[in-house]
This record gives sequence, structure tokens and C-alpha cells, in this order.
Amino acid sequence: MMAKIKTKKPSPVVRIVDWRNLTRMDWFMPIIVLILAIIGWVTLYSATEIQYESYFVTRQMAAFGIGVLIAALILCTDYRFVVALAPIMYLAILVMLYATLSADAIKGSSRWLNLGPVSIQPSELSKFVMVYVLAWYFNFVGDRIKKLPFVILTFVIAGPPILLILGQPDLGTAVCLIPLTGIMLFLAGSRIWHLVFLVLAGIVVLLPFVYFQIHDFDPNPKLRSTMIEAAGPYDLKYHQKKRIHSFLFADEGDNDGDYQQIQSTIAVGSGGLKGKGFQQGTQTRLSYLPYHYTDFIFAHYAEERGFVGCAILMCLYAALLLRGLMFARECPDMMGTQLAVGVIVILTYHSVINIAINIDLLPVTGLPLPFMSWGRTFYLTTMACIGILLSVPMRKNAFVY
Amino acid sequence: MSTRNEPTRYEGVEYRIQFLALGLAAAFGLLCFQCWNLQVIQYEAINQQAENNQVRPIALPSNRGTIYGRGDVILADNRACTDIVFTPGECTDDAGQSRVDEVIVKLADLLDLSDEALREKVEASGHPFEQIVIKQEVTEADRIRIQEHAFALPGADTVVKPQRRYLHGETGGQLLGYLGLISPKELETWGEENDYDQNDWVGKGGLERMYESSLRSFDGSAMVTQHAWGSAQLRTSQHGNIVVASHDTGGHLMQELEGLRKDPIPGQPLYTTLDIDLQKYCEQLLKGIEGAIVVLEADTGGVLALASSPSNFDPTIFISPSRSSERVALMKQKPSPMRNRCYQENSAPGSTYKIMLATAALEEGIIDKNTTFFCGGSFKLPNVNRPWGCHGRHGQTDIVNAIAYSCDVFFYNVGYKMGIERMHDWGVKMGLGVNTGLDLPGEEAGIMPNAAWKAQYFKDKDRSEQIWYDGETLNSSIGQGYVTTTPLQCAVMQACVLNGGKLVVPHLARDEFQIPIELNLKQSTLDLVMQGMRKCITDPNRGTGRHIMPSPLKFVGKTGTAQIASKQFTKDMEDDEIPYNMRDDAWFIASVLDVEPRVSVCIFFKHGLHGGTGAGPYGKKVLEYFYGREDNAPVVLAQEGQH
Repeated sequence: MMAKIKTKKPSPVVRIVDWRNLTRMDWFMPIIVLILAIIGWVTLYSATEIQYESYFVTRQMAAFGIGVLIAALILCTDYRFVVALAPIMYLAILVMLYATLSADAIKGSSRWLNLGPVSIQPSELSKFVMVYVLAWYFNFVGDRIKKLPFVILTFVIAGPPILLILGQPDLGTAVCLIPLTGIMLFLAGSRIWHLVFLVLAGIVVLLPFVYFQIHDFDPNPKLRSTMIEAAGPYDLKYHQKKRIHSFLFADEGDNDGDYQQIQSTIAVGSGGLKGKGFQQGTQTRLSYLPYHYTDFIFAHYAEERGFVGCAILMCLYAALLLRGLMFARECPDMMGTQLAVGVIVILTYHSVINIAINIDLLPVTGLPLPFMSWGRTFYLTTMACIGILLSVPMRKNAFVY
Repeated sequence: MSTRNEPTRYEGVEYRIQFLALGLAAAFGLLCFQCWNLQVIQYEAINQQAENNQVRPIALPSNRGTIYGRGDVILADNRACTDIVFTPGECTDDAGQSRVDEVIVKLADLLDLSDEALREKVEASGHPFEQIVIKQEVTEADRIRIQEHAFALPGADTVVKPQRRYLHGETGGQLLGYLGLISPKELETWGEENDYDQNDWVGKGGLERMYESSLRSFDGSAMVTQHAWGSAQLRTSQHGNIVVASHDTGGHLMQELEGLRKDPIPGQPLYTTLDIDLQKYCEQLLKGIEGAIVVLEADTGGVLALASSPSNFDPTIFISPSRSSERVALMKQKPSPMRNRCYQENSAPGSTYKIMLATAALEEGIIDKNTTFFCGGSFKLPNVNRPWGCHGRHGQTDIVNAIAYSCDVFFYNVGYKMGIERMHDWGVKMGLGVNTGLDLPGEEAGIMPNAAWKAQYFKDKDRSEQIWYDGETLNSSIGQGYVTTTPLQCAVMQACVLNGGKLVVPHLARDEFQIPIELNLKQSTLDLVMQGMRKCITDPNRGTGRHIMPSPLKFVGKTGTAQIASKQFTKDMEDDEIPYNMRDDAWFIASVLDVEPRVSVCIFFKHGLHGGTGAGPYGKKVLEYFYGREDNAPVVLAQEGQH
């Protein structure tokens, strides 16, 4: 009898940061992350060693170290606490994006915001913030998301940052936020026909826009000035139009947009089944492949490692992301599910679109590949995403008590 | 914040997550499929593209064919033209420290350049591994000095490339022609089928142009790994071999791929009949006057000299980068030295034309050796008031005297009787007013008029007078009016009467010899014409060519004085009072009998006033020089004289 009375009561203390979470961490995902990181370092080393020795790799490894700390911090923090801060984060990011945009007007196009000792990329930050903001919003709305006004309200919330980022202009990030919003909305339990209606509405709005941008586009203009200036703030620039145009109509000639993609396709294709081997890729060695250590690092990897390497790499990405979805599925609360899926959308978007550009499935736009491309800010973003993913199952364990 | 009242998940969220997982898997499936497509299905084609990216040929220069003159004297060949180049990126000591400053001072000292200029040149260059040409076309001494100091001059190299060399400078420059970078139009019209590319040099005039297809050489190639940024460079080793430089312009280490070198193919040599000493002598004679001297081998048509004035151009200036100002000056010069008056300028031949007419009339039977016409100073056509004048009163004149004294009235009679059509036919037959077939580009034909020609000519000009008048026949009879010929044509005509009636085709290339066309002239005709031409020289009183006597050589000749301005205007003036542009053109065609080899000479002296006194002495000098030279002495006298 005594034993029954002496049942331990759950601790009334709610810890915001609980380091014990580290001991309960999922083991599968960190291993995959480590493998991907190692592949990334080796690839980056191979791509840059000849010219820059180990300059990039050491810095990338340091970024990974910092990233691990950030991920650990996020993992140990109760995500409900962070989500509760979402409205403040939302306002802050709007201010930062606006500040970046007005600073642009003075200094020319830049995505960086200078805050005294550190410079940050608000657009990079806005990806997370939007994940938290939407998770907070859907949590707040609950069942009411089945009603159309709340669906539309989602886009009223997501709209301002998207427009501000488009104005920078950072098309890659802005476009990233659209599927993020859509998929989180889908997951929140909105009615399917609402979503179908929204997608159709989006197409109806977007198609004429693209049509009017492209229909009288001259890939070889007589005036050079038309190549530099966009007509209005939300018009596509010359090189963007050109890329879309050359992608849609397979333009003849060696224009810039084509050159990168032709060379990356050659790099990927010439890798063959087994690849040319470490530092044997001629496309990179002879500098035919542009951006071979940033946006086109996949092509470099594919040239050296061949189809086998590509398949392995994509399996690793898929395993990582599916494991994340597994967390989402097993998470008992809606907020964690939303967070996990939001993060997965960001990671999937970067990896799938980047690889698709590398292998000539989509027109060129600047997007880094997680764990592979050189770029420390994005590396930290990726690691933070992993941290969020790993923090989701922590709550599941909390219910065990 | 309680753990107890979590909002639970709605029904079916798991299906939605599974749907997302499906979409994710499908996306990676699509990516994998495209990788398979590129890396396995399209592998062959794409890999080929990658290989084409890698290896490129770099041209190895080769030698253009040599041009030889008479006696296998070299007229144009190739010399090794050495440039000194400097690559700042290679100018380091063993520890990798730059020694550019120190080496620049040393180089400037060795090559006699200014420090400052050299430093500026090096600093202005785009990339440290680009070869900067610091001195072009250096002397052999410079080259050796640089190679001797090579250990102290890291980064300094020599690059040897063949460059055309014209050994006789301005002499014969017009005939040899010159080289130039192939023009876009040339590349389009005949570049492709003949395997030229846009960096090739081609003959732009003269023999260089005419025999481009045999003189040209084919560059060889070495295969090197080509980087996207930067192109391979050549240099020359101490043994004079062309090798690939250690770095390309982008600073990448270069290596030639073994076993893939394609050797250059040099051009074919060209042997010509041009007598460069004679050409030089003729050009010196013409200094200061406008004129032309043609010297032909009478039996073969081989061109010994085609001198023209002005002709002060050295073909070297077209290939030497440092002489562009001379090029510009040359292009502006008037009258143009680029045009050779021997075959690119036609004008009225005057009385030299009478040789053709005399031959034609004798052959046609219009006259014979006994036919005489009375010359009272002028000739009148029936029904025309105007008289056609002669330059003297020659009385009863036969064919021999008519040639010797150049009696116009005699030839008015002959021409009138013969008619313009037959005159035209014979003119063409003896090579006047038609292309001679000389193997140089840009030959002019001149005009041998007849009624049909006039009708067409005036029709083209929209003028009404399209009928041929008898008066025009008379003008034509003395080589005036519409008749124009080139000096070369007159020399061919002269060769024809000298060699027994064979029309030769003048040529410079020895291989271009064509068997002369046999005109089947009667020996009596040739003898009479020769007698006339001999008497022209020997008659001490009235022979128009008497001024060139005395001479040990047995000259024959015919003078010509082609009227430029109306006699009305100039009749009261002394010779030196006549404005230069109104002075008559002087002609003289001449040969020497009873010698080997027989040559025919034509002198054309623009605005030279009189054939006999203006052009004659030049003919004498040329022939005396030709037969008096050591390599032609002793003069071989033929056993049978030709009269």
C-alpha cells in the first residue's frame, strides 16, 4: 500500500533548457548528419584544394562545430517556449527585412544587415522565423483552420516577409517560403479543396505575370541598358528572364545562364557510373565548371563520384528527411509536428531544387546545397534545422512521465 | 504552461504526413532518374564534350615557300624572328620571392631599353603569367645575350617565329607582293575550303597572292590541356626548338601531351625568271620619273624585269608591326606605288603600234615591199575637210622608211585601206588590248577598238554617237584615239616580230611557261619590219631612234610619242614650257639582234615628250646593261643574222 502512496509526482518545475535531453537524443539522425558532413568536407576539399589549399575546409569544419553547439542548444530548449516568442520574432524579422531593404537603396543590392560587430542575413533567418510563426499561428487557431478566412489569414501573415525578401531581391528564399506556408497549412488540417483552390488561384495569378514578363522578351537586346535595369521593383531582371527564357525555349547560343548549366550537365554526365575519382574531375580542375564549390558543388561531386556516389548521397538526404518526417508522425502534439515538417520543407527545398538545377531540370537560381556548398551562414542554418528536428521527439519522451 | 493540456492532434494527420513522405521520396526518385539518364544513358556523348573541353591544339608556326629569282637568287624567304618575352609570374628565386624589379633593370640594360618604359609595360599586363613581349624582332646578338644570362633572368624567354623576309627591299617589291592577315571576306569566300583560319597570313598582292596555294604552309599543332581561363603559350628552347611554355596566360602549369604533335608543313618553293639585278637597274633608271620598263625573254616570254615608278615600297613594312606609320604613308602616296605601270596601267601606245599595223598589212597583202605612199605632211579623207597631219614631210615612202621615220601618212593610208575590223583582229592576234596572261593579279587589258566596241561603249555611257567613223580608223592607225595598251603588251608584240612570229605568254614563275602561239607570219614580212626597225636606229638623219647611236650592239627599235594634249595648244611652246600634265607620253620598244638570249624591251615614260629622245636612251641603257654584264659576256653573236 505504501508503495502506491509513495508514487513519485511529476515535477512541477518546467525546465526551458534541459541538458538531460542530450542523453535521450535520437541516434540515427546524428549519424547521417555526420556522414553527410564528412562527404561535404571531402568534396569541398577536392574542389578547392588546388587553388586554396585547406582554407575553405577548415572554416567549414569550424562552422560545423559551432553548428553542433547551436543544434545542441536548440535540442535542449523546450520548443514550446521558443514558439511562444514567435509574435515577437515576427515583428523583429519584419523590421530587419525592412531595414535591409532601405539600406539596399543606399548601398546597392545586398542581403546583409550590419548590426555593429556582426552581419546577418535576415532573409536566411526569416526561414526559421516563419516556421515558428506558422507553428504558433496554427497552434493558436486550432480547428478553426478549416474555415476559409483563417486559411486566408495564413497568407496575410506570410505575405509581408515574402514581399520584403522579393524586394531585396532574393528569389530563392522568397520562393522557399511559399511551399513552406502551403505545406504547413496542409498539415494544419485545412480542407483539401481550400488548398486546391489556393493552388489554382496562385497559378491564375502567376501565369499572366510570367507571361507578361517573358512574352516580349528579346534574349539579345540591342540596348545594353535593358540588360541591367529591371523595369519596376517587382519585375524580373534581365538575367532572370533570360534564364527562364532559355530554359523554356532552349535558346541557341552561349549565354550566361546556359553556360553554367551546360558545364554542370557535362560535369555530371561525364562522371559516368563510377566517377572519375578524387580530384580527377576535369571540369573543375580546368575551371570549366563555375561556382564549383558553392551552388554547383553537386556537379563537382557527381563528376568525381559518378552515379553510385549520387545515389548514395541522395539516399542519405532522403534518409535524413524521412527520419525527420518520422519524428513528425510520432510527435503527439501538433506544434512539434508542425515544427518538424516546416524544417523538413526548408531542407528538402534546398537539396531537391539545388540538385535539380545541377542536373538541368530547373533554371538556374542561386541556392546552396545543405552540408555540401561552401557558406557558413547557411551551414549554421542547416545545423539549426537539425537541432529543431532533434528537439521534436524530446517532447514525446516528456509524456512518458 | 502545463504538459497536461496539450492540444491533441486531429484525426488523419498521419496520412497527411505519409503523403508528404511519398512526395519527398518521389522527388528524390526523379532526381536519381535524371542522374541515371545523364551519367549512364547519355554518358558517351557527354563525356565526349568533357574531353573536347580539355585538350586543344596550339598552333606551331611553319615556313612559307621561298621565292627564287633568275639564277636561283633568293628573293623572299623566312627568317627566324625572335621576340624577347617576360613572364612576371615565373620571375622568382628558389624561395618563391619575386625578383621582378631586379630582373627588369637587368633586362633593360641588356636590351638597351628604358627601365621606366619596361616597368610600365610589365605593370600594365593583365595577368602575372601572361607573356609580355618586351622587345620584338631582336637581333641575333640580343638573343644570344639573353640566353647567356638566362640563369640571372628568370621569367625572360625567347619566342622564335618565322617571318617573311624580302631580301631586296624595294626592288621588285610590287612583283613579290606582300602578306597580310586574312580578311573576313577572304575567309568567307575561300577560307573554309582551303583550311584557313582567321589568324592566318595570306598573300595580298603580286606573286605572294598569285601562288598563295603553293607558297602557303600549314601550321602544325601540339596538343595541350586547355583551361577555361587562359591560353597556352609557346617559347623557344636554347636549342631553338619550339616548346610549350611552362604556364599558360592564366597561370596554370602546362604540359604538352605526348605523341599528339602534328608537324608543320612548309610551303613549296617558287622559281621565277625575274632578274633581280636588272630589275634593280631598271628601277634606278626610273627614279624621279613616272614610267615603266619591261624586259622579256623574246623566245619564252619569261619576265626579266617589270620595273615601274614610283615603286618605293618594301613588302617588309606590311609584316613588321613596328612599321605601321610607313604603311599608312604608303597608302596615301599619289601616284600610288602599289600599282605597277607595266601591266596595270594602259595608255595610247602611239607609233609603237605601227609595228603591228605594218605586220598586219604585209600579211593581209594590202602592201608589199614596193608599195609607196606620198607623204606631203597630211592626209585627207574624201568628204572630210579636216586634214590628218604627219610630224614631217617624208615624200614617197615605202614600208621600211615608214617604220624608220614613223611616217603617219603612210599608216593612215594603210589603216584606211585595211579598215578597223581587220586592224582590231590583228591587234588582238598580236596581243594588244587583251590580257597577256601574265601570272600576276590585277592585269589590265587596255582597249583594241572596233565598231562593236564603240557601239557598246557609248551605249553604256548613254551617248548617241555609236557609229564608227573613218576618222577614228585613222586615229587608231597611229596608236591614238581609243587605242590603249600596257607596256607589257608592247613588249610581247616586239618579242613576236623578233622571234619569228610567235606570241609568247609572259610569265614570272618558271613552271608557268606556255608554248608560244605560232602566228604563221611570212618570213618576208618579218624581214621588212626588222629592216624598218633597224633603219629607225641606224638612219643618222631621219631615223626616229637615231639618238641612241653610236652603240656596239645591233639595236632594232621603234619609238612612240603618244599625244596627250591638243597640238593646237602646245605647238608654239618649247618642250620645257609645256605643262607637265600636257606633255606627250614617250614609248620605245627595242631589241638587239644577233645575240643570245634575245630579249624585247619596252620603255614607257609618262609625259616624256618624245619617244626617240625621251624613252630611247633608257632602252639603250637597259640593253647595254643587260648584254654588258659579266654573266652575260661575251656577247654571243649568232651565226645567221636576222633581218
